[in-house]
Amino acid sequence: MEFIARVFPYLALGLFVLGTAVRFIRWRSLPAHVKWTLYPFPKDAAGQLKYMAGEIFTFGTLYHFNRRLWIGAYALHMAMGGFVLLFILYLAGWVPGTAVRLMLVILLAALVYLAALRSMDRYLRAVTTPEEFFNLLFLASFAVAALAASAVAASPRAYFLSLALLRPDAALLPQEFAPVIVLGGLFLVYLPWSRMIHYVSKYFAYHAIKWQKS
Amino acid sequence: MPESTIKQPSADPTYPFRSESPVAREERKARFLGALKDILELDIYDRPLRMYLDTCARCNNCAEQCPVFKATGDVRDLPAWRSDLLRRVYRRYFTPSGRILGRLVGAKRLTAGDIDAMVEAFYRCTMCRRCGVHCPLAVDNALITRIGRVLLAEIGFVPKNITVSVAAQLGSGGNTSSIPKAAFLDTLDFLEEELADETGIQIPIPRDVEGAEYLFAAPVSDYIMEADTLLGIARVFHAAGASWTVGTEDFDAINYGLFYSDEKLEEILNRLLAEVKRLKCRTLVIGECGHATKAALLFHRVLGKPEYRDIRIESILQVTRRFLAEGRIAFTATEDRGPVTYHDPCNLGRGLGIYEEPRELLRAAGIGIVEMESNRGMSLCCGGGGGLVVAPDLEPWRMSVGGLKKAEQLRATGARVVVAPCANCKKQLRELVKHHKIEMEVAGLHDLVGRALKREEKA
Repeated sequence: MEFIARVFPYLALGLFVLGTAVRFIRWRSLPAHVKWTLYPFPKDAAGQLKYMAGEIFTFGTLYHFNRRLWIGAYALHMAMGGFVLLFILYLAGWVPGTAVRLMLVILLAALVYLAALRSMDRYLRAVTTPEEFFNLLFLASFAVAALAASAVAASPRAYFLSLALLRPDAALLPQEFAPVIVLGGLFLVYLPWSRMIHYVSKYFAYHAIKWQKS
Repeated sequence: MPESTIKQPSADPTYPFRSESPVAREERKARFLGALKDILELDIYDRPLRMYLDTCARCNNCAEQCPVFKATGDVRDLPAWRSDLLRRVYRRYFTPSGRILGRLVGAKRLTAGDIDAMVEAFYRCTMCRRCGVHCPLAVDNALITRIGRVLLAEIGFVPKNITVSVAAQLGSGGNTSSIPKAAFLDTLDFLEEELADETGIQIPIPRDVEGAEYLFAAPVSDYIMEADTLLGIARVFHAAGASWTVGTEDFDAINYGLFYSDEKLEEILNRLLAEVKRLKCRTLVIGECGHATKAALLFHRVLGKPEYRDIRIESILQVTRRFLAEGRIAFTATEDRGPVTYHDPCNLGRGLGIYEEPRELLRAAGIGIVEMESNRGMSLCCGGGGGLVVAPDLEPWRMSVGGLKKAEQLRATGARVVVAPCANCKKQLRELVKHHKIEMEVAGLHDLVGRALKREEKA
């Protein structure tokens, strides 16, 4: 318990940062001898920023061409972002824990929707590998564990505050939240080495390849 | 915006374009993997290839853009599915997660059956790159198709029509159509006579002029099938008062290496560049041909010999557009042939960004364009891209699958003429309009531009 409460969260975060950095540096170090630009593309920074903002905040291409998948993918990503943001605000005491739980419910619903869609749609099923289902299951197990713990356990706020202030106190951690920390930490460690690395790869694929200037 | 329209009835998935390998079945796997290792370690595509092999959201956005998939509705034509044939092999043998976790992370051991699937799948793709336009992760499946073809070539799988053409070009014939030099010179004489008949003045087609500014190289098939395009180009050079020449030692710009082999691409490209050097020309101008222009423009600084890298390379569309901007050519009113539409060749458009030059030229020549429903970056492939047009056996497939959506699009314009500045596109489009009974003439850009030139006799 001591390890889970006091060491593992920092270890997982460190491995997440390290993994992401390694992937970033590896891709960055790859030479691009042949220019593989796809025309036309926004040439100026403002145009590129506008396109990227549209992609990141609305999933525009998916919205236009694959609306059914967009519903789940957009809800999933917004719920993940919303969870992190609201969790920070919860620690700061600005929002109640219910807001964080609401994000987890949306996240879980999106995961179930995506798993069902990938199972039932003939074409999505054809391109879906076990990894996609594993990723969905992994995230879902975290969301279920967090929701279950928050339903029965005392508030974990004091523990997470101590963690955030770099003075982790294992005594403050309700035991029911131990699996949540383990699952969340493992997910962070796994993330950079999975296909979900697109939070980094997207930068290179656009700026260093698709939009590469002469 | 429309909902997903992915559900399409199957059109005609029959695909006769198969090649046989001389390599024994049991040897193929090892050679395939060895070649993939070499490409990953040594090749010129490091960053894009690794990125595309490492990432794919499996969202099928690519499917919505693929004219082949839209025509067949066949799972095997999903671009992501096709790319995964190679991606899963890469994962299994070249990533730690794939080695350890196998199928869980989408990795799979290579089997002879997988290779068989690739032989067909990678030659069902026209490499048009339309699927890359709206990929949220910017994955370009056409590069994976190309690398897949390179790997298949390493184990002997290359469609016969392509190997025959390349062998003819790199052999003693020197060009893909095996036109002897004497016949080529006769053709140039014939073209000069045609020019005199058309214009009433002598417009020479200079040969082997040392020190000329421009060395012009057309796809050699133009000398057989696209005389009007060549006449237009000669008129443009003449009207602009340009210093130009054609080389008689190597006059074929076609480079089918682009479709399956960097080695062949390099050899063909360097032969052409050697001709530029031999004649001490400064600029190599590629005629109306998408793949030839892309092969030369994109690869000459990477695969061209160091001594050739100072050679400037341009498309004839860029050159003519510049002549217009510089006031070196002008146009007079042209005969009205009815509504004209413009087809963006994939290699010129998505591959090189040449979208506006041809449109400006047509406008300047007084030719209004009826745009197709999707054009420029979203233009549909003619259906013969990626070298598929080379195969006569494949014509039924190109008509009923590869070019089906293009045919529908052409018909919808109501145009009487479709302009396509690409030899391969023109061949495919002619077959398409005939097959689908669309009353439409297929023309090269310079066919029209050349006829619209003003006062060329004074140049």
